[in-house]
Order: sequence, then structure tokens, then C-alpha cells
Amino acid sequence: MDPFESIKATFFQECEELLTDLESGLLAMEGGDKDAETINAVFRAVHSIKGGAGAFGLEELIRFAHVFETALDQIRSGVIEPTDEVVKILLRANDVLADHVQAARSDGAVEQSRSQAMLDELQALIGGDGGAMDAEEDEEDFGFVPVQMVVEEVPEESADPGAAPAASDVGEGERAWRIEFQPNPEMYTKANEAGLVLRELARLGRIEVEIDGAEVPPLDQLMAEHAYLRWNIRLVTDKDVAAIREVFEFVEDDCILTIVEETPAAAPAAAFEDEPPAVVPPADEFDPAALLARLTGEVGGGEAAPEAAEAAPESAPEPAPAPTAEAAPQPAAPAAEPQEMGVAGLIALAQKATAEVEQAPAPAAPAAAPKAAASGGSSAPAPQATIRVDLDRVDRLINAVGELVIQQAMLSQRVIESGLARSSAVALGLEDLELLTREIQDSVMAIRAQPVKSVFQRMPRLVREAADATGKKVRLVMEGENTEVDKTVIERLSDPITHMLRNAIDHGLEGPAEREMEGKPPEGTVRLAALHRGGRIVIEVSDDGRGINRERVRKIAVSKGLIAEDAVLSDEETDNLIFLPGFSTAETISDLSGRGVGMDVVKRSVVALGGRISISSEPGKGSKFTMSLPLTLAVLDGMVVTSAEQTLVAPLSNIVESLTPKADEVHFLGGGQDAVIRIRDTFVPLIDVGRALGFRDTPLNAADSVAILVESEGGGKAALLVDAIQGQRQVVIKSLEANYQHVDGVAAATILGDGRVALILDVDALVSTSRRKAAAPREKRMAV
Amino acid sequence: MTETQTLQGTGQRRELISFRIGEQEYCVDIMSVREIRGWTPATPLPRTPSYVKGVINLRGAVLPIIDLGARLGLETSAPTARHVIMVVKIGDRTLGLLVDAVSDIINLTEDMVQPTPDVACDQVKTFVKGLFALDGRMVSLIALDRVLPETEAEAA
Repeated sequence: MDPFESIKATFFQECEELLTDLESGLLAMEGGDKDAETINAVFRAVHSIKGGAGAFGLEELIRFAHVFETALDQIRSGVIEPTDEVVKILLRANDVLADHVQAARSDGAVEQSRSQAMLDELQALIGGDGGAMDAEEDEEDFGFVPVQMVVEEVPEESADPGAAPAASDVGEGERAWRIEFQPNPEMYTKANEAGLVLRELARLGRIEVEIDGAEVPPLDQLMAEHAYLRWNIRLVTDKDVAAIREVFEFVEDDCILTIVEETPAAAPAAAFEDEPPAVVPPADEFDPAALLARLTGEVGGGEAAPEAAEAAPESAPEPAPAPTAEAAPQPAAPAAEPQEMGVAGLIALAQKATAEVEQAPAPAAPAAAPKAAASGGSSAPAPQATIRVDLDRVDRLINAVGELVIQQAMLSQRVIESGLARSSAVALGLEDLELLTREIQDSVMAIRAQPVKSVFQRMPRLVREAADATGKKVRLVMEGENTEVDKTVIERLSDPITHMLRNAIDHGLEGPAEREMEGKPPEGTVRLAALHRGGRIVIEVSDDGRGINRERVRKIAVSKGLIAEDAVLSDEETDNLIFLPGFSTAETISDLSGRGVGMDVVKRSVVALGGRISISSEPGKGSKFTMSLPLTLAVLDGMVVTSAEQTLVAPLSNIVESLTPKADEVHFLGGGQDAVIRIRDTFVPLIDVGRALGFRDTPLNAADSVAILVESEGGGKAALLVDAIQGQRQVVIKSLEANYQHVDGVAAATILGDGRVALILDVDALVSTSRRKAAAPREKRMAV
Repeated sequence: MTETQTLQGTGQRRELISFRIGEQEYCVDIMSVREIRGWTPATPLPRTPSYVKGVINLRGAVLPIIDLGARLGLETSAPTARHVIMVVKIGDRTLGLLVDAVSDIINLTEDMVQPTPDVACDQVKTFVKGLFALDGRMVSLIALDRVLPETEAEAA
């Protein structure tokens, strides 16, 4: 990939994260969190997206983000009150912004009418079309013209500079000091950091720091290794000069340092007036990182400075919150490869600033460093160090470990076969190896494990849209977003969850009027939860709606010939009828969930993943879908069986029970080839696995064999006749198609402890083949 | 395997591995051969042509075994421990060819390979790309991309 493209890809990855932050921030606001920090975080997210989009010239995205940002800025500054209505508009703006990002990513286009409608709505919110005008102006700023460093007044300023330090702020026993601190490049090369020194200084008393960036040259002349910044500090402390000097102890030789006691005559205002200081609140809130990040932003973002100036009059009189670093340029994140970037100058500066903040040479923590700066306020949680790795590499590692596990198992078996004592050194060493192997396997699988958040985060939008479409009021509650599951499973969770949520909103919840009549709050609640249970992941979707109308379900099932008219079904069985193919309760197909797929499709996709789905419902109280899935698709819980001298594996998720058939339970239909077995009071086809797969011609004597009752995806049941059951085992799934081709009746292969390949049965294929042959009418009408 | 035999000629040089099935001698390009290993019992696959012996475990990968003799329509007997599996790479797939024994590495040039004469039956012509003479023996050059079952050869 060419470097610019890879940087762009990184930008879009970050956009995803930012959009997530944005949405969760807005949701928090919707939930009543009007905290300044939350609003700031929301603002920052949009701002960063806009900034990044500017670097890549994504005009549409910039235009939209700008108006969105303007609206957020007005909320931030208190001009607009974040009422529920406002937040709802913002949430929808968030969806449109996501569409814009998606469109920019895929070079597609956003539905203009929708985007424009949203823009109009935001404009109306802002009041006037000032935002749009700004957008035009801003676009010019986005070119990477070397920008002269300007230290501008920033919105978070705590006090009017003119009124700055009056002598009265110097308390009893305190003295005010003026310190000029100009680090030489050597200071940085010795791994000292200006930020830390300033922080240390801040501990001594009340501090005001003014950064002087006047020496920062235009970008094209900037040298990354040079130190351009200096600080003017005013410190009010009760400590003496020695204590102050001590702070600079390690850097004293590598910087220009002057420490003068402030005399009332030399008083503050004059000194500070021509260059309004970027004042930082004292003591514990003091955050040099943020200050530097802001500085970076002003240079890097280009547009930040005028904007800050614009915002200043409004926010200046307010007491400053923790400094925010909203201007830190997100696209500068991949600073690790500055030489590859077309805008090297910008990056160099950003990197320089980063280095000054982090004092870690950029490559050490390329993405984390600027991000840390961007998150600004000291209250932001420290981001965990992460790396992005190609999925391919992880897969190769997982494959290799899978082989290691098999080899290890084979070795163990060989050692046992060779008759070595269990207490022998070899056997003991092997045991340790086994533990180690397992640990490696778990760790490797954990690499692929991801929180279900990535799927869940798409759902609030879906729910909003579904609620709009149905005219219902819906509140989505999500739990267990951090539950981890293998990536392969995550990718396939989205469809069933989407469908279940739509179903819950469309069919489950009542309209507001109906709800009020029932004495329920007009807003319906849909709960989406993920949890680990018994080595599987369980996803629950529940609603507090009307529940399943069993009478109606039953009628439909009868009318569609799914059950017999006189069938006696328990409530649970009735509820589960909705999973039968060909069943759809919606009498008129709605736009929402009537997209030609019913719950049977959901069930099929869940079962295809080795999972199960069930429903429980209480009339008038709501219903709950529960699906349980394996944590990974790379391994499978299987029942190891033998048939016709072959070792085969039946997926445990298909197996209902195993039983030993008695001769009088087996009946032959018609010509005597197609056997059925009576299990309690139902007849199910009896499939001789050995014969079905062509391993043997002579039929197996049912009485000497074991039958396994299986249920296929479609819900059809059958009994598989095998010679014997060896036991239950977790097996690693190996594809047959990789080197050969699909084989009917075989889902995949695996390698057993003896090193031989065993085939994993494709239960559905086996059952459907038998059904095509047998076509037993009874079977079609079976009760679930 | 014995000493490398070099034949004289012009044109592009190739290295081949020759092997024996019954009395016949065949060869394939050495670059497509990954490794050579002894016969291990294979797990049979259901409903496959008789020349597909099944699958074996090759260090964690599932490797299909093709009985090349049966594929060429020769008389074959049940494989024994003396039989050899040549692991070959065809496109993206790796598979094992069951042969009687591997004999030589042959150096030759393109122009020494003669087209398969018309007398050969269709089955042989499908799999044999050409012939050449080596010490008075006839060696057939196998077209590896054809040995997988038809449906797959087309798809691949």
C-alpha cells in the first residue's frame, strides 16, 4: 500500500473509534449526563474527524463535520441548551456523519437530501447560516501551507489577561517568581522533558505558564531535532529559590534559565499584555501535555487558531475546566513514518511536540502518543498500549499453534504407547509441555478475542431508525459490551442481533398509546446483553412489549401446515414455532423486519455457527431471545464416534441425546430400506452413518449399535446410527476445501490425538439427504 | 535416488523428478514437489472417486492423497509401507501423490520432450504432457494440474 493510503486507512480506523466515542458521549448526554467533560469529548471527536478529513481533502465530510462541530461548540459554550430534543438531533447528525465517513472511505456518496436535511436541522439549531459561511472559509485553511506559529488566546483561559496576577494573589509568606525557561536541544536528547519539569514546578505553588513559540520557524524550515519552545512562568510559592532551582537541577546545564523574584513594580500586566498567555490552571489540573497538544493543534490543524480566537470571547470569563486539547491533529497520529508523508513538515512538528510531551522517540508509541495528547484533560483514562496486526498473521499463528497442540497430543500418546512409566522424566516433561501448550493456545485465541462492542455499537443507530420507522418510542439498554469472543464469531453476530432487535421493536413492543393503556411507560425498553456462560457466549435480546401471542402463533402454524390441528404443544413449544421455516407472524409485511427473512433465517445462521437460539415469553410482559454461541469457530465441541471402522466427529451442537435402540423400536418403511426409529412417541428417520457415507454396504444391526438423536439447522430431527461412541472432545476444525474440495456429508476434518485425520459430520446434509429419500410426511409436520 | 543425470540438448533447462508406478516411469517438475514421505494409512473420504485414497495429516494440514496409478488407469494394488507419497503443490493446493517409488532427478531441456503420440488412449493423453527417452527407457511427463477430480480442476 502506498504510504499515503496507509495513513488514510489509519485515519479511517481512527474515525471509527472517534465515532464510537462520539456516539457513546451523545448517548451519555441523552441519559442526562450534561458534564462539561462529556460535551468536550463529543466536541473533540467531531473536531478530530474534521481535522483529519481536512488533511485528506474530503470536502463533503468536512462541510458536514464543520456544521456539526459548530453546533456542538455552541452547546459547549452554553449558547444552546442540550435538551432531549437537541441531543436527539445530534444523535441523528452522528448517524449522518458516520455515513459521510463511510462514503469517504469507499469513495461513495452520501444521500444528498438526507445530509442536507440534517445540515438544515443543525443550522436551525445554531441559528442562522453562519456555520456554512465558516465552512467555506475553513476549506481554504486546510491546504498545507506552512503556517507561521501564532500563539493565540485560547478559549479555556481562566482569566482576563489584563486583570492577570495582581499582587494580592501573593499570600502571606509567599513570593512571586518569574522564571524563563528555554531548553536547548541537548536537554531533550538527554531524555529530559520540559513537561515534567513544568509539572514538578507546579507542585511548588500556584503557577501560570506561558508558552512562547515565537521562534518556531515556518514548517519548511523546521528541524525536528531542534528545540524552539520557551516558557515564561510565573510562580507564586512559599518555597525559596533553592527549591525552585532544585526542580531544574537535571536540566540546568542544558537550558537557559532565569529566575527573578517579582517585585510589585515590575508587575504582571505589562509583561503579559502583548502576548496574552495561555494560562493553565494551577496545581493538580495543570497539564503541560495538553498545553503542548494545543500548541501542536494550532500549527497542525491550521484552522484551530482563528477558531479558538472566535470562541474566546464567550468562554473567557468562565472558570476554566481542565485544559482540553481539542486541536491535536488526529491525522498526525501515524507520525512514526513522517518521512513517508507528503506533509512531512507538519508531522515533524507534531512529532517534535509529541516528543516534547512524551519524550519517547515517536516510533516507540506511534499511535498512542498523539492520542494521549489529544485526549487532553488529566481526567482522561490512560489509553492501553495496543498494536494493530494483520489478521492474516494472527491466523497463521493460530494455525501453527493448532498444529503444535496436535503434535503434542500425538507425542503424549506415543509415549504412553511406548510403555514409559508415568513418573518417568519424559512423561513428566511432557506433562509440563502440555500445560504450556494449552496456555499458548489460550493466549493465542485471546489475541483474536474481541469485545462484542464492535457489533453492539452499531445497534443504537439501528434501534433509532427502527423506532422512527415504526413510530414507537424505544430505549435501548446494552449490557456486557466488553464480553470477548473470537473475531470470526463477532463478524457473524451482527445479522442475527440486527434481526432480533428489529423483530423486538416491530413485533414485540407496542405503540406509545397502547403501552399507556396497558399502564406501561410510553417508552419501550429493549435490552441487549452479552455474557459468558459455560464456555459459550450468550446474547440476549429482550423487550418489555406484549409478548408472543400464542393463540395467533398456533393458528398460523396450523394454517401453514406446520403442526397438526390437534397437536398438543407446551407454551415453550408454541413460542419456538416462530423459528420454523415458512413461519412469519407479520400479516402485512412491514418495511422493517419484513425483508423476506424470518426468524427461521436467524435460527439457521445461529445454528450454522454451532449455536442455539431459544425464546421465552410472557404475555403482556415481553419476550426474550437467547442465543448461545461457541466462543470460537476454530474449535468445535464434538462427539467422537466410530462407524464402519472410521472415526468420525459429530458436532455437539447438533446432538440432542444418545440412546441404544431396541430392536422393536426400529421400523422399516415400504421396501424395507428406509428405517425409522421410535423415540418416545415420535418416529424419526434412522440414518446408518457408515452406509450413508458409503463406507460399507451391509446394514448395521440397530440393536448392536448406538443411535444419536440429532437436530439439523432446519429443525428436522434424525437418529444417526453408529457402531460406538468414544467420547466427547474439543477438536480443531480443519478445512477439507483448502487442499481438496467439498465432500457431501462432511463438514470439515480434524486431527485426533493419534495424528490421524477424522472427518466431522455434516449433520444437516446427512439429515436432508435422508429426508429427500424418505420424504416422510410425518417428519414435515413434526412438533418442535 | 541415484546420481543426477544430465541429458544433452538446447532450450530451457528443467529439473524433473522421476518416479515409478508399476513398470512405467513418469516424472514431474521438481519445483512442484514439496517433500517425499512414506505411505501412512489415509482416512477415506465418502463418495469420492476410487483414485482418491483419502486424507492424511501433514503437520496439521489435511492432505488429500491421489493414487496416481489409479488416476492414470493402471492396475494398482493396496498401498504398503514401501509406497511413497510425493507431496506436490498445484496452484494453491497441496496434495499427495501415491507412487511406487521415486527414482531419479533428471536434467533436461524443453526441446527433448516429444508430444504424446496419437496411439495413447484418452486417459493417458489427458495426464501425459509429453515423453522423452532416458537410457533407452521411456519417461512420461505428467500434467499435474489435471490429476485432481474434474470438477475441481475446472474450478481451480
